[in-house]
Amino acid sequence: MDVVFRPFKIGGKTKAALIYIDGLANIEEIDASVLIPLMKENNAKENENTDQLIPVYHILEQKLTVSKVEKVQTITACIEHISDGNPVLLIDQQSEGFALGLSNWEKRSIEEPTGESVIRGPREGFTESLGTNLSLLRRKIRSPQLKMKSMKIGEYTQTEVVISYIEGIVDQALIREVESRLNRIKVDGILETSYIEEFIEDNPYSPFPQVLDTERPDIVVASLLEGRVAILQDGTPFALIVPVSFYSLLQSSEDYYQRFLISTVIRWLRYIFLLISLLLPSLYVAILTFHQEMIPTTLLISIAASREMIPFPALVEALLMEVVFEALREAGLRLPKQAGAAVSIVGALVIGQAAVQAGLASSPLIMVVALTGIASFTIPRYTTGIALRMLRFPMILLAGTLGLLGIMLGLLMILTHMATLRSFGVPYLSPMAPMQVREMKDVLIRAPWWKLNTRPRLTRTDNIQRQGSDQKPDPDYGNDKTSKGKGGS
Amino acid sequence: MIEKGKISAMQMGIMMYPTITATAILLVPAITARYAKQDMWLSPFWASLIGFLTVYIAVQLHHLYPQKTLIEYSEDILGKFLGKAVGFIFLFFYLHANGIIIREYGEFVVGNFLSHTPLVVVMGSMILVCSFAVRSGVEVIGRLAEVIVPVVIILILANIILLIPDMKVENMFPIMEKGIMPSLMGAIIPQGWFTEFLLIAFLLPYVDDRNKGKKWGMISVTAVMLTLSLINIAVLFVLGGITSRFLYPAFSAVRYVSIADFLEHIEAIVMALWVAGVFVKIAVFYYALVLGTAQWLNLSDYRPITFPIGFLLLLFAVWSAPNLIELIHFLGSSSPFYRISIQTGIPLILLFIAKWRRKTNNQKLTQQG
Repeated sequence: MDVVFRPFKIGGKTKAALIYIDGLANIEEIDASVLIPLMKENNAKENENTDQLIPVYHILEQKLTVSKVEKVQTITACIEHISDGNPVLLIDQQSEGFALGLSNWEKRSIEEPTGESVIRGPREGFTESLGTNLSLLRRKIRSPQLKMKSMKIGEYTQTEVVISYIEGIVDQALIREVESRLNRIKVDGILETSYIEEFIEDNPYSPFPQVLDTERPDIVVASLLEGRVAILQDGTPFALIVPVSFYSLLQSSEDYYQRFLISTVIRWLRYIFLLISLLLPSLYVAILTFHQEMIPTTLLISIAASREMIPFPALVEALLMEVVFEALREAGLRLPKQAGAAVSIVGALVIGQAAVQAGLASSPLIMVVALTGIASFTIPRYTTGIALRMLRFPMILLAGTLGLLGIMLGLLMILTHMATLRSFGVPYLSPMAPMQVREMKDVLIRAPWWKLNTRPRLTRTDNIQRQGSDQKPDPDYGNDKTSKGKGGS
Repeated sequence: MIEKGKISAMQMGIMMYPTITATAILLVPAITARYAKQDMWLSPFWASLIGFLTVYIAVQLHHLYPQKTLIEYSEDILGKFLGKAVGFIFLFFYLHANGIIIREYGEFVVGNFLSHTPLVVVMGSMILVCSFAVRSGVEVIGRLAEVIVPVVIILILANIILLIPDMKVENMFPIMEKGIMPSLMGAIIPQGWFTEFLLIAFLLPYVDDRNKGKKWGMISVTAVMLTLSLINIAVLFVLGGITSRFLYPAFSAVRYVSIADFLEHIEAIVMALWVAGVFVKIAVFYYALVLGTAQWLNLSDYRPITFPIGFLLLLFAVWSAPNLIELIHFLGSSSPFYRISIQTGIPLILLFIAKWRRKTNNQKLTQQG
């Protein structure tokens, strides 16, 4: 039994009991600030009126050296507090109990998030403890406008979920929508925010994530400052952010920490490699099957030479190797770190090299597969990258049947699907479609901070100014600005 | 209203751009060159006049019946029976016109790239992809156009820039050797394409910034005019006097692109990206047809009839011509008159009747009052 019932007498007279769960409550604190002061009640002063019961307020005000005390009236509330780790103090003849804020359970310390590492930027990540996570947010946003709304989800797990937003920036309708979608969830329990994600997303049948998940507090804070809403859950380091567009899923927090020119180039690199990760194997199949004339002659000869011994058509060859690559990636991911290295050696050296020598695949294809793999890892969000990686397979099939036309039709299908998607009312392809020229500063390029004067337009249209304009650094600042001439005059 | 989505006037303008250019750059340059010779670059300017007129008519009708599409206000203007009849003419025309577009697309792809693939597969796959966009409504087609059109424009400009080394400016001279007539003759065929701007009559009710509808319609006509003229110039500079002998001069010109012995034979990529433009074109026609049919039949939703009409479109694409030669003959001879009379003639008559009825109604009102 992990629930501890500790009966004792306050001052040797009044009967009382302390109930807590072993391992969730801080036992040293209970001894020091509850049991010792209460049981040693019978000092000289108190002996005068020995028959009287000790008034509750007296205990509260003078004896309980605990900062967080909450009165509980019902048994359900008692159970809730006990399972949260807060010991409950019950006193004879009293209709109220006291829940003491002395919970203390084992938790992981704040570490660098392994899934989203950065070269420059804060290195702290969320942990499994909701309290710690909220404190991380509070430390970054000191304004009282940062609001946290708490609710419980899960019939049995009673997991605490917090909706966080900044009042004044966020659209109130969005908050209501998030709340109503969360309130609709009726399940036994939630273990990870992905449960919530599946219940609240707009199109459950889409391969694309319509919610951003992150374990980085700085990403959450940046999103809150843009007027988005964060959903945090106890027991997982992953917070959800809504609404998002496709472009925000292609961004890394480091885009904003690097110099803006570098970030712009990196963003474009990412867009190009996004297309490569989706299209390269299918382009290989289409060109080799239908459009050989596009390849320069010398390259064509060398490809043909290396494919001479291959018994399969390009389509089968590409599908085979892509599946092997996906299996290798999955195996490397799930295995312990030491074995993971072995898998990558087996994959890279043995399969790649041996497949070519055994005449199962041509070396250009191995290169295509490897390049596609690298390309898919340039996408900073795992969920986005995996969606594109899986869409690669139907694209290869289309390329094998209709060539470049098939690829185009497949792309048009994907585009049509993306154009229909919405994330909490925000079109998925915005700001590209519907086009908002002003928003392009954070999509086509990463404009310098002194140019990012407006917030992204999500659902609301007012209060879009985020900072003062005209903050471009200039050596002339501090001097008389108005006398600054144009064009060297 | 059947359609709940809203588009912006700019989206409408962007949607109309590939709706005209996508097929106008296929067969039209050759037909234009046959009449206009070295003045073929002038023809789009004359042809665009009817485009401006059509946009004007559509916008005027829209002002008289702001919430309604062409099919709905034909009934208001002409009465129930005649209105339904005119609506049927429009719908049948769009069915036929879209069938021809799909056939042009199919013939082009099969003739140049996928010679062993059955025509029906090429056309059917496209109709299927379009039907998903049409089912999703006008908003989605608008967004798709916004993504696709910049790519198409960049593609056209990039190709023209890559062709600069092969261009001979002398091909242009002598300008207007035989006066203005050849270029006017050359403008007759492209006119048929410019009348397709009537499609904005199906989109205008769903434009949220209504007063900008006319502006963006006109911008779109201008953009199409400039694009077609630019393509005609590029084709003329590259191919010269033999332009009219090619089936698809613009794509034949692309074959000349050869940079550093590496960037050559890019016509398959050009085709693939052009397919995206055709996709928007077919989707817009298809959407107008589906929406119009639903309104003509007083349905409460247009989605259920998308796939049946898609199937009908495939049949019309097959039926529209026995072969490519017949198709070119039709497009180069009677089609402009057919298109102009239905897409500009009938709406013009509708506009006159509507204005006249308004006037007589007002007179009646003033007489009574």
